[in-house]
Amino acid sequence: MFGATIAVPSIVSLLQSCKDEDRRVWEPELFTEKEAKTVSALVDTILPRTETPGALDVNADIFIDRIVARTYDTEAQKYLQDEIAQFNAGAETIYGEPFFDLDETRRAEILKVAEKKSGKFSPGIWGTSVGEQEPIGFYRSFKSMAIWAYLTSEEIGKNVLAYDPIPGNYDGCVPVSENTMRSSL
Amino acid sequence: MANYNIDAAKETTYDAIVIGSGISGGWAAKELCEKGLKTLVLERGRIVEHVVDYPTMNLDPWDTELRGNLTPEQKEKHYKAIRSGWIGTDTEHFWADDKASPYTEKKPFLWLRAHQMGGRSLLWGKQTYRWSDLDFEANAEDGHGVDWPIRYKDIESWYTYVEKYAGISGEALGLPQLPDSHFLPPMEMNCVEKHVKSRIEKAFEGRNVTIGRCAHLTVPHNGRGQCQNRNRCSRGCPFGAYFSSNAVTLPAAHATGNLTIRPFSIVQSVIYDDTRAKATGVRIIDAETNEAIEYSAKVIFCNASTLSTTQILLNSTSNRFENGLGNDSGELGHNLMDHTYRVGAMGTVDGFDDKYYKGRRPNGIYIPRYRNINAATKTDKFVRGFGYQGGAGRGGNPANTEAFGADFKESILKPGPWEFFITGFAECLPYHENQVSLNSEVTDKWGQPTLTIDAEFKENEKAINKQIQEDAVEMLEKAGVKNVLGFDNDHSPGWGVHEMGTARMGRDPKTSVLNSFNQVHAAKNVFVTDGACMTSSSCVNPSLTYMAITARAADYAVSELKKGNI
Repeated sequence: MFGATIAVPSIVSLLQSCKDEDRRVWEPELFTEKEAKTVSALVDTILPRTETPGALDVNADIFIDRIVARTYDTEAQKYLQDEIAQFNAGAETIYGEPFFDLDETRRAEILKVAEKKSGKFSPGIWGTSVGEQEPIGFYRSFKSMAIWAYLTSEEIGKNVLAYDPIPGNYDGCVPVSENTMRSSL
Repeated sequence: MANYNIDAAKETTYDAIVIGSGISGGWAAKELCEKGLKTLVLERGRIVEHVVDYPTMNLDPWDTELRGNLTPEQKEKHYKAIRSGWIGTDTEHFWADDKASPYTEKKPFLWLRAHQMGGRSLLWGKQTYRWSDLDFEANAEDGHGVDWPIRYKDIESWYTYVEKYAGISGEALGLPQLPDSHFLPPMEMNCVEKHVKSRIEKAFEGRNVTIGRCAHLTVPHNGRGQCQNRNRCSRGCPFGAYFSSNAVTLPAAHATGNLTIRPFSIVQSVIYDDTRAKATGVRIIDAETNEAIEYSAKVIFCNASTLSTTQILLNSTSNRFENGLGNDSGELGHNLMDHTYRVGAMGTVDGFDDKYYKGRRPNGIYIPRYRNINAATKTDKFVRGFGYQGGAGRGGNPANTEAFGADFKESILKPGPWEFFITGFAECLPYHENQVSLNSEVTDKWGQPTLTIDAEFKENEKAINKQIQEDAVEMLEKAGVKNVLGFDNDHSPGWGVHEMGTARMGRDPKTSVLNSFNQVHAAKNVFVTDGACMTSSSCVNPSLTYMAITARAADYAVSELKKGNI
């Protein structure tokens, strides 16, 4: 384990009021420094900050580390760690640097290739996927985890998405406007 | 309504004993208590008091450290049930410990269990449909299994009775193959469901798309609140808006002053007295202290859930019943059924991007059976039939989109594409060889024999599944659904979680275990009114029928008791 302080500006609120504040010290539960940097760079590239918070703003990388540390068995942890290493090795082969040290353009080039190469998830119904599931590969599964970590974070779930814990009535047909957001729950 | 009368279990003699507190046990307790019987409910798990013991009912994903994901230890504890895909930290505490209570699968069979007060009534799907004579006459009609000893007319008034109390919402259609319940107002379809409904009904004569009939209150009812469309039912509902033993029947039983619930009481066997030719009580093992205790009663209701009830009966041996209580026919443990499901079709729907919905309705749409319901719809490919459940929603899997970055991130914050799916539920025939048996080699945490399950779907079920998929694809395509994907997740029994049979009702003691009032043929003060009693499986969800059969049997039991017949 190690202590890495990654300076990232804080969450952007819906009102666009930014305040500068150092990100808290993150001591990963499982990932090595290199793995942690790769995970942070990946979630940031997939879900960057715009007018709405990005994945780093809601600590999606920190959450992914926690999930892998506490819910994966040792074998699955090792498998994911190997995949992260391979992903980085791929970037190093092409550009001579690990993914997290690449600039935005080069990161995007790597991900464009990964998007093309990765399988797709079969659709699911009531907890189980249907049909034959093709091999997914590291990138698509990681992206899925990043999206999940992002959408289920409190900042996004409560303040960005449509948060309605007790809807009361059900209305089966409401108009969508520009401001309509995905239901968070 | 707190303070279930637990201490009173120091008393060992009662008028009635009810084994199990799930959907049917709760009804047995309510009916017997209301008719004045001092009733002991034996529950193998802990007390779960309505609302008080629903710790996760209001939690948002970010309120727990792992946002619903199970730890390796939790996965190990539920290593069998986890295959269902339904267990997260929001409901983990309501699922049985597979390590403490193992079972053996000769062929794959998912046995989902809930070992606490209320049982699976806390976790069930809440779809509620009446059976019709198409179902009760099916075995006699095509010769599979034995004839039901009852018909629709015998149970019709009991359906009404339980529906009025439980609160069932739905739309009346007047279909002979799917009789209407006594309905509360139906839930609403969303705009895509309405669209698909109109297209399917126009394209296919005799097919209906209706809102699911379900045990969710759409208006306040009997002191319980209406559904708030949170869709967090399986955590326990703070509004009491869906039917569970915990919210509905057990409080009613408790209110009579006649109810005693004893938790942590694993029923080992029913005690049969050879000389008096009747059951005299039950033996339990205290799950916490391992103490063996006997309780006696005049009448015993077995409602431990289909397979657990049969397990208890198989384990209840005596000189008179060497192979299990009431097993003169040799049918105890046999004719296990479930519904096939996870066969159907899905796709996306264009043209409704400007429409969304408000609320998370815990219900879907239903397509009642339309094949083999009369001469005109008869097929020679299979006997019996199927219905569909399904629905539409805006979802999608954004991870599949070949994009990343700023625009992609903004897109996932918006409602996803409209999707529509239906999945069939098919009737399964009663095969003698689909069975459970006691296994003394594998014992549970309390040293008791466990069950070996040996069951599979056969040719008729496979032929129905083929039709389900073909019809589903055809209907969705005709309805204008795009990217239609038919699916048939080659699966095994248990996944439908509608286990039925293994102590079937029948007219002849030589070929059945129970009579027309759910009495064990040769031990008339023992009643079985959970899914074990089922003689065939219909294609509709069975819980409403368990409720009606239980209320009917309890009424009969009390009347026989008063007459001195049992």
